[in-house]
Amino acid sequence: MSEIVRVRDAHVHFGEARAVDGVSLDVHPAEVLALVGESGSGKTTLIRAIQGLQPLTSGAIEDQGETKIGGRRRRRVPHDIQMVFQDPTGALNPRHTIYDIVAEGLRIRGDRRDEADRVGEALSRAGLRPPERFTGRYPHEISGGQRQRVVIAGAMVMSPRLLLADEPVASLDASIRGEVLGLMRSLVDDTGLSIVAVTHDLGLAWNIADRIAVMYLGRVVEIGTTEDVLEHPTHPYTRALLSVVPEMGRMEQQILVGETPDPLHIPWDAASPRCPLLASGEAERLGVAEACVRDDPALAGDGHQAACHAVPVQLSAKP
Amino acid sequence: MSEPVLDVADLTVSYRASGPKGSLFPAVRGVSLRIERGGSLGLAGESGCGKSTLANAILRLLPSDAVTTGQVRLNGVNVFEMRPGQLRSVRWTEGAIVFQGALHALNPVQRVGTQIAEPMLLHKTQASAKDAKDRVNELLEQVGLPGDRARAYPHQLSGGQRQRVLIAMALACDPDLLIADEPTTALDVMVQAQVLRLLATLRAERGLSMLFITHDLTVLTDVCDDLAVLYAGKIVERGPSTHVFTAPLHPYTTALSRAFPIIGDASSRMSPAGLGGDPPDPANLPTGCSFHPRCAVATERCSTVDIELIDVGDRREAACILVEPS
Repeated sequence: MSEIVRVRDAHVHFGEARAVDGVSLDVHPAEVLALVGESGSGKTTLIRAIQGLQPLTSGAIEDQGETKIGGRRRRRVPHDIQMVFQDPTGALNPRHTIYDIVAEGLRIRGDRRDEADRVGEALSRAGLRPPERFTGRYPHEISGGQRQRVVIAGAMVMSPRLLLADEPVASLDASIRGEVLGLMRSLVDDTGLSIVAVTHDLGLAWNIADRIAVMYLGRVVEIGTTEDVLEHPTHPYTRALLSVVPEMGRMEQQILVGETPDPLHIPWDAASPRCPLLASGEAERLGVAEACVRDDPALAGDGHQAACHAVPVQLSAKP
Repeated sequence: MSEPVLDVADLTVSYRASGPKGSLFPAVRGVSLRIERGGSLGLAGESGCGKSTLANAILRLLPSDAVTTGQVRLNGVNVFEMRPGQLRSVRWTEGAIVFQGALHALNPVQRVGTQIAEPMLLHKTQASAKDAKDRVNELLEQVGLPGDRARAYPHQLSGGQRQRVLIAMALACDPDLLIADEPTTALDVMVQAQVLRLLATLRAERGLSMLFITHDLTVLTDVCDDLAVLYAGKIVERGPSTHVFTAPLHPYTTALSRAFPIIGDASSRMSPAGLGGDPPDPANLPTGCSFHPRCAVATERCSTVDIELIDVGDRREAACILVEPS
């Protein structure tokens, strides 16, 4: 199996602040990978680096033969990696017709062969059928859900292998949300595309993702299949995130105090632990408290991985 | 007998299209609801369904071209009949609003402490500037911020912190009713959980009554005793929140509640549920039930009969011809 993208020990530092701090992960063909975490966890910086918009401080990102290393900013953004942003209304030029919006990528690439056919095909693939009903209209003449479909059509016309979606449904109404998520899932199933979706919405991951990577302070702290991560979370941060999803009444809520620490001043002291295991004394009981404060845990495990000193101890204690 | 904090009776709000002779478009079409002292009601619906118009109507914060009929009684007094002075004295002290965009609702060039103190000094609920300052510190600590943040400007605070400042401001004059219009929509899940817990604590400790508005049904179910679902300016379903969320009666509520999957529920795994189409244009409402063009179970009668809320027992009501009265 050839991976779509391989991220190897990627770092993006802005001065002292480590937005992405040693991330390694693969994107498999025809999968939806959800990158979840709070604001400031580095998830948007990571997909910008995958896109080539953000130079790496160190590490490497390989996408099929091409390697992005170090501080070099890529002039040419690869057209087989496309981006879908949060707010479709802001992403569409109000003075352009739907046709011009979808064709824009092709024109910039200087590839005008069969333009009309390809625009029509992209629109129908995004569920805007028949395409002739939409090509001559302007963004304000269509609904919110249709606008996000136009954004997706504009990405699909470039025949990408990978779609990077940054909070694709966060600004959409509840009723439209399912419609757009359904489209994303069917594109993956029908065309073999891969999608990396950045979100803080665990319900989105449950709805469409094959795998989940949970990010905290620039690192992946847990990664695995959606079922493993959401139904059997092992990292205390993932557990806390899940416990505060409304309607998860069966879990005891673990509301972490304060906000995600400022990456400039990461509090690695035991006096103000944000980790509920450390705060409750559970880490002490498991005999890892010292390691928690001293060593940075690496991802460990097979398939379903977590970066936490307590997890291996907890797992081996289980019968 | 104690009267309800809020009693809205057959409220309609219409906006006028451009010009004084423009025709009227109904945004809220005959809504009745009450909130008892210490009670909490969640109001759910899509953008454009009239939920913010309804919230603003309660404190008469609507633009001057809005035309209202019906009544809004706050602590028994009709808000629409209040004189300007009386209205001013009721705002903040009896009813206060927490708006959605915390960044836009705060003055960027004034310290947040000054902004929180402003309603207290205007309403003279604190005798002196010194007392107001002490109260600001107390309020900030109550919403989980260190008291010294009073000296911060809005841009020095994070989104979650600014939202707390707005909540502190709304609580400054000890209101009876707190109206929260999408107070957590822009926030991260963890910060949202912090704010929701804060609101729950305030309710328990001070007997605050709450009207909570959002499009996220799961949040409402967490926070509110009762839930009302608004569609095209009308309440289409209401009842105790867990029942409305887990066993909805109206097809629109069903669609809304299915949009937010329950993690671990196999039926929603890899199968996101949505609702096609757009909410109707208030200028051009469908005939009959206004939901019928988007309804999965609509019958022929739905396009001609506009149904009112039907009492189905157990404090539940729904406006759908498929619902059996109790």
